[in-house]
Amino acid sequence: MSVSPTPRTRRPLSDRNITLLFIMPTMVILVLMNVYPLFYSLYLSFTDYSVISAEPPKWIGLENYTTILSDQRFWSHFAVTGRFAFLSVGLQMLVGFGLALLIREKFRGSGLVTTLILVPMMLSPVVVGVFWRLMFNPSYGIFNYLLGFTDINTAPEWLGQPVLALWAIVIVDVWMWSPFVMLLSLAGLSAIPNYLYEAAAIDRAGAWFQFRRITLPQVMPLLLIAVLFRTIEALKQFDLVMGITGGGPGDATEMVSVRLYREAFQGQFDTGLSSALAYIVLIVIVAISNLYIRQLNKVREG
Amino acid sequence: MATIELRGVEKRFGDQYAVKPMDLTIESGEFVVLLGPSGCGKTTTLRMISGLEAVTGGAITFDGRDVTWSHPSDRDIAFVCQFFALYSHLTCHDNIAFPLQARGESRGEVKRQVAEVAELLQIGHLLNVRPGALSGGDQQRVALARALVRRPAAFLMDEPLGALDADFRETMRAEIKRLHLEQKATTVYVTHDQIEAMAMGDKIVVMSAAEVQQVGSPADVYYDPANLFVARFIGSPGMNLLSGRYEQGVFRFGTDQSYTVPADVKPALERAIGQGELILGFRPEAVNVQPSGPIASKVYASDLHGGYAMLHLDIGGETVVHARAGRGQRYAMDSEVRFDLDPEQVRFFHPATEEAIRKEQVS
Ligand SMILES: Nc1ncnc2c1ncn2[C@@H]1O[C@H](COP(=O)(O)OP(=O)(O)OP(=O)(O)O)[C@@H](O)[C@H]1O
Ligand SMILES: [Mg+2]
Repeated sequence: MSVSPTPRTRRPLSDRNITLLFIMPTMVILVLMNVYPLFYSLYLSFTDYSVISAEPPKWIGLENYTTILSDQRFWSHFAVTGRFAFLSVGLQMLVGFGLALLIREKFRGSGLVTTLILVPMMLSPVVVGVFWRLMFNPSYGIFNYLLGFTDINTAPEWLGQPVLALWAIVIVDVWMWSPFVMLLSLAGLSAIPNYLYEAAAIDRAGAWFQFRRITLPQVMPLLLIAVLFRTIEALKQFDLVMGITGGGPGDATEMVSVRLYREAFQGQFDTGLSSALAYIVLIVIVAISNLYIRQLNKVREG
Repeated sequence: MATIELRGVEKRFGDQYAVKPMDLTIESGEFVVLLGPSGCGKTTTLRMISGLEAVTGGAITFDGRDVTWSHPSDRDIAFVCQFFALYSHLTCHDNIAFPLQARGESRGEVKRQVAEVAELLQIGHLLNVRPGALSGGDQQRVALARALVRRPAAFLMDEPLGALDADFRETMRAEIKRLHLEQKATTVYVTHDQIEAMAMGDKIVVMSAAEVQQVGSPADVYYDPANLFVARFIGSPGMNLLSGRYEQGVFRFGTDQSYTVPADVKPALERAIGQGELILGFRPEAVNVQPSGPIASKVYASDLHGGYAMLHLDIGGETVVHARAGRGQRYAMDSEVRFDLDPEQVRFFHPATEEAIRKEQVS
């Protein structure tokens, strides 16, 4: 008995099919995890709906949006968020860029110093928030002690007063994220070719003139990227607030995303309203980012 | 304009010399060229003069003022380097204005002076462009303008034409020379192109292996090289060199060839080597082709250049020498050619020290 081997020809995959094969899984995941929720939540923002009720979403048009925009408290959340973003990003830029200028020159142990400065950035924000809340505590917290306030009666009550509470969050955010600004600044500074400073020395430029005319314009694109990233993060600030003040005292530090969380996952679980609020935040962030990016391109092209 | 003096200036990186101790005087208004092959320490020398590189020994003075440890900005020099070093984020106008603004000139004054230099270098139409968008030649002009606008005490230029194509180099070379003559500024110019050095320098400093080989006028280094390195390095092709023996006024070389040494160098030769090994050198244009010449050779090849022919002559099957001849005559390959040497242009070198042996000056 003879077995004739049947020739099995295997048709090679075309380049196009291989491409599709590699891209498809990503596309499927992207659509399921990102695109679908994005559009579904856009739809929900026009409905009266709660995830914990049996009722299906009911179309109510723009009502969620008008509710939010006509409620004074939402406006005050936006104001708090804006104030926080402005203070926190501004200080982070100053501190981060300042640190970068200081440790720009390589010295013995500069690698170690850089790594140590980066530590806050690598911690979990919730843990950071809780620890700082303990440090801000007026009776046993170390923060006031370090500032030199040893009398409990005159010491500032950081988390008890509206203005100080916002500053408390700003301080922690600056402590945590200035290293990030420093890292970006260092990347920018180290990309400045040394010959520019040599040329400037030959041209008899002083230190301040060199800083203004060479250092600053050369790192500006990276500084703007840092501002962009930090602003987006600040507008979404959530975990530090929850850890440190929980939005208090009153609603003095209730930022938009904290309120968003409450609407979505506490009390009534108002999914429709919180979707609308999420979209408002998204639009604001996209608009601000666009302004920055336009500015960035202007700096690049000159 | 400044007189620059280097006294025993040296630079070591680790225990490696980039520049061995050198002495050099650059007179006020002089155009001095540092010439040498890649890596011989030209840039390092220039950077030490500018103050961008610290010396590891010796002293530098400007007009008698010791500036060895002064900051570059205290030396009042302009530096034009090979890759221009323009401020990429500033427009050409701001690049040129930079040194003026740095010393706090008024707006009007800055504008006037920039316009003036821009016109001199014909870059008025480029002032609002950033240097990145310009051709190498235009960038070089901007770099020159930035250097000129300050009217410094001295110009230092490190291969400023290195990045340009041949055609444009010629133009820029003439431009730099003109600017020098107009401003009478002390200039130190680095190049590894000997034609450029010959064309531009009042004085040429030939360097090799971190050491100064010879300092002299272009004619000096061409006709009277101080040693074998300079003889080979200067000229294209370099000096013809024949190894042989010196015996009783006659130089013997190759297969039984001999050349009678000009009488006026004999005393110097005898003092330097007595009788024995010697190297004879001559430039291609010292050759006179004539049937009665003392030296026999065979034509290896010949090329026609514009106004003359360059013969490659084979002497005794081992050495090929280059000779310049009139275009008039054709030399067939392998034909016999005899020639004589112009006694004024024959040079001798010590085979061991490689130094030139020069006829004694009549005093
Ligand atoms: N920072 C440095 N560290 C160590 N060695 C250096 C340094 N700078 C230059 N050298 C060495 O010093 C020598 C001289 O360098 P230099 O740049 O002065 O040469 P050059 O004559 O300008 O050459 P080129 O024509 O290539 O520009 C070289 O061997 C170079 O490798
Ligand atoms: Mg060099």
